[in-house]
Amino acid sequence: MAKITQKQITEQLKTLKDIKPRKEWAVLLKSQILPEQQLQATIPAQKISFLDILSSVFAPKKLVYSLAVVLFLIIGVFGFASQTVPGDLLFPVKKIAEQSQAALTGQIGIRQNVVTLNNRINDLAQVAKQGRTDNIPSAISEITADASALVKDLQNNAVGNKQTIKEIAASLKTLADVPGTDLTANQDVKNLYQTVVQSQIADLQEATLTDEQKATLSEVEELYNQAKYVEALEKILLINN
Amino acid sequence: MDNLQEQFSNIYDEYIDKIYRFVYLKVNSQEIAEDITSKVFTKGWEALQGSQEDIKNLGAFLYQIARNAVVDHYRSKGRTNVVSVESSPEIADPNTGIHEKAVLSADISNLKNAIQKLRQEYQDVIIWHYLDDMPIASIAELLGKPAGTVRVMLHRGIKDLKDIIQES
Repeated sequence: MAKITQKQITEQLKTLKDIKPRKEWAVLLKSQILPEQQLQATIPAQKISFLDILSSVFAPKKLVYSLAVVLFLIIGVFGFASQTVPGDLLFPVKKIAEQSQAALTGQIGIRQNVVTLNNRINDLAQVAKQGRTDNIPSAISEITADASALVKDLQNNAVGNKQTIKEIAASLKTLADVPGTDLTANQDVKNLYQTVVQSQIADLQEATLTDEQKATLSEVEELYNQAKYVEALEKILLINN
Repeated sequence: MDNLQEQFSNIYDEYIDKIYRFVYLKVNSQEIAEDITSKVFTKGWEALQGSQEDIKNLGAFLYQIARNAVVDHYRSKGRTNVVSVESSPEIADPNTGIHEKAVLSADISNLKNAIQKLRQEYQDVIIWHYLDDMPIASIAELLGKPAGTVRVMLHRGIKDLKDIIQES
Protein backbone atom coordinates (compact mmCIF):
# COMPACT_ATOMS: atom_id res chain seq x y z
CA MET A 1 0.00 0.00 0.00
CA ALA A 2 1.18 3.51 -0.80
CA LYS A 3 2.64 5.53 2.01
CA ILE A 4 0.21 7.57 4.00
CA THR A 5 1.05 10.49 6.21
CA GLN A 6 -0.30 11.16 9.68
CA LYS A 7 -1.93 14.30 8.32
CA GLN A 8 -3.79 12.24 5.74
CA ILE A 9 -4.93 9.88 8.46
CA THR A 10 -6.30 12.69 10.60
CA GLU A 11 -8.06 14.08 7.52
CA GLN A 12 -9.60 10.68 6.80
CA LEU A 13 -10.61 10.31 10.43
CA LYS A 14 -12.74 13.43 10.11
CA THR A 15 -14.69 11.83 7.29
CA LEU A 16 -15.86 9.22 9.81
CA LYS A 17 -17.93 11.95 11.43
CA ASP A 18 -20.51 11.06 8.82
CA ILE A 19 -21.20 7.84 10.68
CA LYS A 20 -24.57 8.45 12.27
CA PRO A 21 -27.34 6.28 13.65
CA ARG A 22 -30.60 5.79 11.77
CA LYS A 23 -32.84 8.73 12.54
CA GLU A 24 -35.98 6.65 13.18
CA TRP A 25 -34.06 4.37 15.52
CA ALA A 26 -32.68 7.33 17.48
CA VAL A 27 -36.16 8.84 17.87
CA LEU A 28 -37.66 5.52 18.90
CA LEU A 29 -34.93 4.88 21.46
CA LYS A 30 -35.46 8.30 23.01
CA SER A 31 -39.19 7.71 23.25
CA GLN A 32 -38.57 4.34 24.89
CA ILE A 33 -36.20 5.74 27.49
CA LEU A 34 -37.96 8.92 28.50
CA PRO A 35 -41.26 8.05 30.21
CA GLU A 36 -43.20 11.12 29.10
CA GLN A 37 -42.32 10.64 25.48
CA GLN A 38 -43.06 6.95 25.85
CA LEU A 39 -46.45 7.85 27.21
CA GLN A 40 -47.12 10.15 24.30
CA ALA A 41 -46.09 7.40 21.94
CA THR A 42 -48.38 4.81 23.55
CA ILE A 43 -51.48 6.95 24.02
CA PRO A 44 -52.56 6.84 20.36
CA ALA A 45 -52.29 3.03 20.44
CA GLN A 46 -54.45 2.89 23.55
CA LYS A 47 -57.03 5.14 21.98
CA ILE A 48 -57.69 2.76 19.15
CA SER A 49 -57.87 -0.39 21.28
CA PHE A 50 -61.27 -2.12 21.23
CA LEU A 51 -61.60 -2.35 25.01
CA ASP A 52 -60.92 1.32 25.43
CA ILE A 53 -63.51 2.17 22.82
CA LEU A 54 -66.03 -0.02 24.65
CA SER A 55 -65.21 1.45 28.04
CA SER A 56 -65.22 4.97 26.67
CA VAL A 57 -68.68 4.34 25.22
CA PHE A 58 -70.27 2.48 28.09
CA ALA A 59 -68.56 3.80 31.23
CA PRO A 60 -70.05 7.30 30.99
CA LYS A 61 -73.41 5.79 30.11
CA LYS A 62 -73.34 3.63 33.24
CA LEU A 63 -72.89 6.75 35.30
CA VAL A 64 -75.66 8.53 33.43
CA TYR A 65 -77.99 5.54 33.83
CA SER A 66 -77.26 5.36 37.56
CA LEU A 67 -77.90 9.06 38.00
CA ALA A 68 -81.07 8.80 35.95
CA VAL A 69 -82.35 5.90 38.11
CA VAL A 70 -81.60 7.82 41.29
CA LEU A 71 -83.26 10.91 39.84
CA PHE A 72 -86.35 8.94 38.83
CA LEU A 73 -86.53 7.38 42.29
CA ILE A 74 -86.32 10.78 43.96
CA ILE A 75 -88.92 12.27 41.62
CA GLY A 76 -91.12 9.22 42.14
CA VAL A 77 -90.91 9.37 45.91
CA PHE A 78 -91.60 13.12 46.01
CA GLY A 79 -94.38 12.78 43.43
CA PHE A 80 -96.04 10.03 45.41
CA ALA A 81 -95.49 11.88 48.69
CA SER A 82 -97.27 14.96 47.33
CA GLN A 83 -100.49 12.93 47.25
CA THR A 84 -100.20 11.85 50.87
CA VAL A 85 -102.11 13.25 53.86
CA PRO A 86 -101.24 13.35 57.55
CA GLY A 87 -100.98 9.84 58.93
CA ASP A 88 -99.49 8.39 55.72
CA LEU A 89 -96.03 6.87 55.70
CA LEU A 90 -94.57 9.34 53.22
CA PHE A 91 -96.29 12.42 54.67
CA PRO A 92 -93.02 13.61 56.33
CA VAL A 93 -91.46 13.62 52.86
CA LYS A 94 -94.28 15.88 51.66
CA LYS A 95 -93.61 18.26 54.56
CA ILE A 96 -89.90 18.34 53.72
CA ALA A 97 -90.72 19.09 50.09
CA GLU A 98 -93.10 21.89 51.14
CA GLN A 99 -90.52 23.39 53.46
CA SER A 100 -87.87 23.24 50.74
CA GLN A 101 -90.21 24.82 48.22
CA ALA A 102 -91.18 27.56 50.70
CA ALA A 103 -87.52 28.27 51.41
CA LEU A 104 -86.74 28.45 47.69
CA THR A 105 -89.61 30.89 47.05
CA GLY A 106 -88.64 33.06 50.01
CA GLN A 107 -91.67 32.11 52.11
CA ILE A 108 -90.20 31.98 55.59
CA GLY A 109 -91.53 32.65 59.09
CA ILE A 110 -95.18 33.63 59.29
CA ARG A 111 -95.66 33.36 55.52
CA GLN A 112 -94.44 29.76 55.58
CA ASN A 113 -96.74 28.93 58.50
CA VAL A 114 -99.74 30.48 56.73
CA VAL A 115 -99.07 28.38 53.61
CA THR A 116 -98.55 25.27 55.75
CA LEU A 117 -101.80 25.83 57.66
CA ASN A 118 -103.65 26.24 54.38
CA ASN A 119 -102.13 22.99 53.06
CA ARG A 120 -103.04 21.09 56.23
CA ILE A 121 -106.62 22.38 56.13
CA ASN A 122 -106.80 21.18 52.51
CA ASP A 123 -105.44 17.80 53.66
CA LEU A 124 -108.16 17.61 56.33
CA ALA A 125 -110.79 18.51 53.74
CA GLN A 126 -109.44 15.75 51.45
CA VAL A 127 -109.35 13.18 54.29
CA ALA A 128 -112.93 14.09 55.34
CA LYS A 129 -114.13 13.96 51.75
CA GLN A 130 -112.55 10.52 51.16
CA GLY A 131 -113.83 9.21 54.49
CA ARG A 132 -110.35 8.24 55.67
CA THR A 133 -111.24 8.41 59.33
CA ASP A 134 -107.91 6.92 60.39
CA ASN A 135 -106.09 9.97 59.05
CA ILE A 136 -108.38 12.58 60.65
CA PRO A 137 -106.67 12.66 64.09
CA SER A 138 -103.27 13.16 62.42
CA ALA A 139 -104.65 15.88 60.17
CA ILE A 140 -106.20 17.70 63.13
CA SER A 141 -102.98 17.35 65.07
CA GLU A 142 -101.05 18.97 62.22
CA ILE A 143 -103.55 21.85 62.05
CA THR A 144 -103.38 22.36 65.79
CA ALA A 145 -99.59 22.57 65.67
CA ASP A 146 -99.69 25.03 62.78
CA ALA A 147 -102.36 27.12 64.52
CA SER A 148 -100.23 27.30 67.64
CA ALA A 149 -97.21 28.38 65.62
CA LEU A 150 -99.24 31.04 63.83
CA VAL A 151 -100.62 32.47 67.07
CA LYS A 152 -97.08 32.88 68.32
CA ASP A 153 -96.09 34.51 65.04
CA LEU A 154 -98.99 36.94 65.21
CA GLN A 155 -98.31 37.80 68.85
CA ASN A 156 -94.68 38.49 68.03
CA ASN A 157 -95.66 40.65 65.04
CA ALA A 158 -98.20 42.74 67.07
CA VAL A 159 -100.62 43.92 64.39
CA GLY A 160 -99.17 41.69 61.68
CA ASN A 161 -99.54 42.03 57.94
CA LYS A 162 -103.14 42.82 56.96
CA GLN A 163 -102.95 40.62 53.87
CA THR A 164 -101.61 37.75 55.96
CA ILE A 165 -104.46 38.12 58.46
CA LYS A 166 -106.95 38.03 55.61
CA GLU A 167 -105.33 34.88 54.23
CA ILE A 168 -105.50 33.21 57.64
CA ALA A 169 -109.11 34.28 57.96
CA ALA A 170 -109.85 32.70 54.58
CA SER A 171 -108.12 29.49 55.65
CA LEU A 172 -110.11 29.39 58.91
CA LYS A 173 -113.30 29.86 56.90
CA THR A 174 -112.28 26.85 54.77
CA LEU A 175 -111.61 24.91 57.96
CA ALA A 176 -115.03 25.80 59.32
CA ASP A 177 -116.59 24.53 56.11
CA VAL A 178 -114.95 21.08 56.29
CA PRO A 179 -117.86 18.72 56.93
CA GLY A 180 -117.84 16.51 60.00
CA THR A 181 -115.06 18.35 61.76
CA ASP A 182 -115.44 21.02 64.40
CA LEU A 183 -112.18 22.34 65.74
CA THR A 184 -113.55 25.37 67.51
CA ALA A 185 -113.20 23.56 70.81
CA ASN A 186 -109.51 23.02 70.16
CA GLN A 187 -107.66 25.58 72.25
CA ASP A 188 -104.90 26.30 69.71
CA VAL A 189 -107.39 26.77 66.89
CA LYS A 190 -109.59 28.83 69.19
CA ASN A 191 -106.64 31.06 70.04
CA LEU A 192 -105.94 31.53 66.36
CA TYR A 193 -109.56 32.50 65.70
CA GLN A 194 -109.41 34.94 68.59
CA THR A 195 -106.20 36.53 67.41
CA VAL A 196 -107.44 36.88 63.85
CA VAL A 197 -110.81 38.27 64.84
CA GLN A 198 -109.23 40.70 67.27
CA SER A 199 -106.86 41.93 64.62
CA GLN A 200 -109.63 42.24 62.06
CA ILE A 201 -111.85 44.21 64.45
CA ALA A 202 -109.00 46.63 65.10
CA ASP A 203 -108.54 47.13 61.36
CA LEU A 204 -112.23 47.64 60.72
CA GLN A 205 -112.51 50.16 63.56
CA GLU A 206 -109.99 52.31 61.77
CA ALA A 207 -111.54 51.84 58.36
CA THR A 208 -114.27 53.94 56.77
CA LEU A 209 -117.42 51.85 56.83
CA THR A 210 -120.95 52.20 55.64
CA ASP A 211 -123.75 52.29 58.19
CA GLU A 212 -124.57 48.68 57.41
CA GLN A 213 -120.94 47.64 57.85
CA LYS A 214 -120.74 49.59 61.11
CA ALA A 215 -123.77 47.69 62.36
CA THR A 216 -122.20 44.38 61.36
CA LEU A 217 -118.99 45.39 63.09
CA SER A 218 -120.97 46.04 66.29
CA GLU A 219 -122.36 42.52 66.02
CA VAL A 220 -118.85 41.17 65.48
CA GLU A 221 -117.64 42.93 68.61
CA GLU A 222 -120.45 41.40 70.60
CA LEU A 223 -119.72 37.92 69.25
CA TYR A 224 -116.03 38.45 70.07
CA ASN A 225 -116.93 39.41 73.63
CA GLN A 226 -119.01 36.23 73.87
CA ALA A 227 -116.01 34.23 72.59
CA LYS A 228 -117.99 33.22 69.52
CA TYR A 229 -115.03 33.66 67.23
CA VAL A 230 -116.21 31.49 64.34
CA GLU A 231 -119.42 33.47 63.95
CA ALA A 232 -117.55 36.73 64.41
CA LEU A 233 -115.15 35.77 61.67
CA GLU A 234 -117.98 34.93 59.29
CA LYS A 235 -119.45 38.41 59.76
CA ILE A 236 -116.01 39.99 59.32
CA LEU A 237 -115.66 38.23 56.00
CA LEU A 238 -119.06 39.62 55.01
CA ILE A 239 -117.81 43.14 55.71
CA ASN A 240 -114.57 42.55 53.85
CA ASN A 241 -116.36 41.18 50.83
CA MET B 1 -41.45 17.32 31.06
CA ASP B 2 -39.68 17.66 34.40
CA ASN B 3 -36.20 19.06 34.83
CA LEU B 4 -34.44 15.69 34.89
CA GLN B 5 -36.12 14.52 31.72
CA GLU B 6 -35.37 17.79 30.01
CA GLN B 7 -31.75 17.54 31.05
CA PHE B 8 -31.44 13.99 29.75
CA SER B 9 -33.34 14.84 26.59
CA ASN B 10 -30.81 17.53 25.79
CA ILE B 11 -27.91 15.23 26.59
CA TYR B 12 -29.46 12.52 24.42
CA ASP B 13 -29.76 14.85 21.46
CA GLU B 14 -26.21 16.02 21.92
CA TYR B 15 -24.59 12.63 22.38
CA ILE B 16 -26.64 10.07 20.46
CA ASP B 17 -24.55 10.47 17.29
CA LYS B 18 -21.28 10.55 19.18
CA ILE B 19 -21.93 7.53 21.35
CA TYR B 20 -23.30 5.53 18.44
CA ARG B 21 -20.23 6.39 16.34
CA PHE B 22 -17.92 5.64 19.25
CA VAL B 23 -19.50 2.21 19.66
CA TYR B 24 -19.89 1.53 15.94
CA LEU B 25 -16.20 2.11 15.24
CA LYS B 26 -15.36 -0.44 17.93
CA VAL B 27 -17.84 -3.17 17.00
CA ASN B 28 -18.16 -2.48 13.26
CA SER B 29 -21.79 -3.58 13.17
CA GLN B 30 -24.86 -1.41 12.93
CA GLU B 31 -27.04 -3.90 14.79
CA ILE B 32 -24.62 -4.37 17.66
CA ALA B 33 -23.86 -0.65 17.79
CA GLU B 34 -27.57 0.12 18.12
CA ASP B 35 -27.98 -2.52 20.79
CA ILE B 36 -25.05 -1.30 22.86
CA THR B 37 -25.94 2.38 22.38
CA SER B 38 -29.48 1.77 23.59
CA LYS B 39 -28.08 0.06 26.68
CA VAL B 40 -25.73 2.98 27.27
CA PHE B 41 -28.49 5.58 27.23
CA THR B 42 -30.86 3.40 29.24
CA LYS B 43 -28.22 2.95 31.92
CA GLY B 44 -27.43 6.64 31.75
CA TRP B 45 -31.06 7.57 32.32
CA GLU B 46 -31.42 5.08 35.17
CA ALA B 47 -28.26 6.38 36.79
CA LEU B 48 -29.44 9.95 36.44
CA GLN B 49 -32.77 9.11 38.05
CA GLY B 50 -31.24 7.10 40.88
CA SER B 51 -28.37 9.46 41.57
CA GLN B 52 -28.55 11.36 44.83
CA GLU B 53 -26.11 13.98 43.59
CA ASP B 54 -25.89 15.69 40.24
CA ILE B 55 -23.71 13.93 37.69
CA LYS B 56 -21.26 16.67 36.82
CA ASN B 57 -20.33 15.54 33.32
CA LEU B 58 -23.09 13.42 31.89
CA GLY B 59 -21.41 13.19 28.49
CA ALA B 60 -18.25 11.75 30.02
CA PHE B 61 -20.43 9.48 32.10
CA LEU B 62 -22.10 8.13 28.95
CA TYR B 63 -18.72 7.54 27.29
CA GLN B 64 -17.61 5.63 30.37
CA ILE B 65 -20.71 3.43 30.20
CA ALA B 66 -20.11 2.93 26.47
CA ARG B 67 -16.51 1.85 27.01
CA ASN B 68 -17.56 -0.68 29.62
CA ALA B 69 -20.42 -1.90 27.44
CA VAL B 70 -18.10 -2.53 24.52
CA VAL B 71 -15.67 -4.36 26.80
CA ASP B 72 -18.55 -6.47 28.12
CA HIS B 73 -19.65 -7.17 24.58
CA TYR B 74 -16.28 -8.52 23.52
CA ARG B 75 -15.89 -10.33 26.81
CA SER B 76 -19.14 -12.18 26.28
CA LYS B 77 -18.53 -12.90 22.59
CA GLY B 78 -14.83 -13.48 22.68
CA ARG B 79 -12.94 -10.73 20.96
CA THR B 80 -12.38 -11.26 17.26
CA ASN B 81 -11.10 -8.45 15.11
CA VAL B 82 -13.40 -9.25 12.28
CA VAL B 83 -12.71 -7.04 9.33
CA SER B 84 -16.14 -6.19 8.12
CA VAL B 85 -17.24 -4.14 5.19
CA GLU B 86 -20.80 -4.17 6.41
CA SER B 87 -22.93 -1.89 4.37
CA SER B 88 -23.56 1.49 5.88
CA PRO B 89 -24.69 4.77 4.37
CA GLU B 90 -21.40 6.49 4.90
CA ILE B 91 -19.45 4.02 2.82
CA ALA B 92 -19.69 4.41 -0.95
CA ASP B 93 -21.06 1.56 -2.98
CA PRO B 94 -18.09 -0.29 -4.48
CA ASN B 95 -20.12 -1.05 -7.58
CA THR B 96 -20.62 2.54 -8.57
CA GLY B 97 -17.70 2.42 -10.96
CA ILE B 98 -16.57 5.87 -10.09
CA HIS B 99 -12.90 5.46 -9.41
CA GLU B 100 -12.41 8.21 -6.86
CA LYS B 101 -15.42 7.18 -4.89
CA ALA B 102 -14.26 3.62 -4.87
CA VAL B 103 -10.84 4.63 -3.68
CA LEU B 104 -12.30 6.85 -1.00
CA SER B 105 -14.65 4.11 0.10
CA ALA B 106 -11.81 1.66 0.27
CA ASP B 107 -9.70 4.11 2.28
CA ILE B 108 -12.50 4.67 4.79
CA SER B 109 -13.10 0.97 5.07
CA ASN B 110 -9.41 0.39 5.69
CA LEU B 111 -9.40 3.15 8.25
CA LYS B 112 -12.37 1.65 10.09
CA ASN B 113 -10.75 -1.73 10.12
CA ALA B 114 -7.49 -0.24 11.28
CA ILE B 115 -9.18 1.55 14.17
CA GLN B 116 -10.57 -1.76 15.31
CA LYS B 117 -7.11 -3.23 15.48
CA LEU B 118 -5.84 -0.45 17.71
CA ARG B 119 -5.50 -0.83 21.46
CA GLN B 120 -8.70 0.29 23.14
CA GLU B 121 -7.12 3.28 24.88
CA TYR B 122 -5.81 4.55 21.55
CA GLN B 123 -9.17 3.98 19.88
CA ASP B 124 -10.84 6.07 22.56
CA VAL B 125 -8.54 9.05 22.44
CA ILE B 126 -8.47 9.13 18.61
CA ILE B 127 -12.26 9.00 18.30
CA TRP B 128 -12.79 11.59 21.02
CA HIS B 129 -10.20 14.00 19.71
CA TYR B 130 -10.51 13.73 15.93
CA LEU B 131 -14.15 12.72 15.50
CA ASP B 132 -15.84 14.29 18.52
CA ASP B 133 -13.53 17.32 18.59
CA MET B 134 -12.96 16.79 22.29
CA PRO B 135 -10.10 18.93 23.67
CA ILE B 136 -7.13 17.10 25.14
CA ALA B 137 -7.89 18.58 28.57
CA SER B 138 -11.38 17.07 28.49
CA ILE B 139 -10.01 13.67 27.43
CA ALA B 140 -7.50 13.88 30.23
CA GLU B 141 -10.25 14.61 32.69
CA LEU B 142 -12.35 11.81 31.30
CA LEU B 143 -9.57 9.28 31.58
CA GLY B 144 -8.21 10.66 34.83
CA LYS B 145 -4.79 11.07 33.28
CA PRO B 146 -2.50 14.08 32.73
CA ALA B 147 -2.93 16.01 29.50
CA GLY B 148 0.65 15.16 28.54
CA THR B 149 -0.12 11.47 28.77
CA VAL B 150 -3.15 11.97 26.51
CA ARG B 151 -0.98 13.78 23.94
CA VAL B 152 1.43 10.88 23.97
CA MET B 153 -1.43 8.42 23.60
CA LEU B 154 -2.80 10.38 20.65
CA HIS B 155 0.58 10.50 18.99
CA ARG B 156 1.18 6.80 19.49
CA GLY B 157 -2.34 5.96 18.42
CA ILE B 158 -2.02 7.79 15.12
CA LYS B 159 1.37 6.20 14.55
CA ASP B 160 -0.02 2.72 15.19
CA LEU B 161 -2.98 3.48 12.95
CA LYS B 162 -0.62 4.52 10.18
CA ASP B 163 1.37 1.33 10.60
CA ILE B 164 -1.75 -0.85 10.52
CA ILE B 165 -3.06 0.85 7.38
CA GLN B 166 0.28 0.53 5.61
CA GLU B 167 0.57 -3.10 6.58
CA SER B 168 -2.85 -3.95 5.19
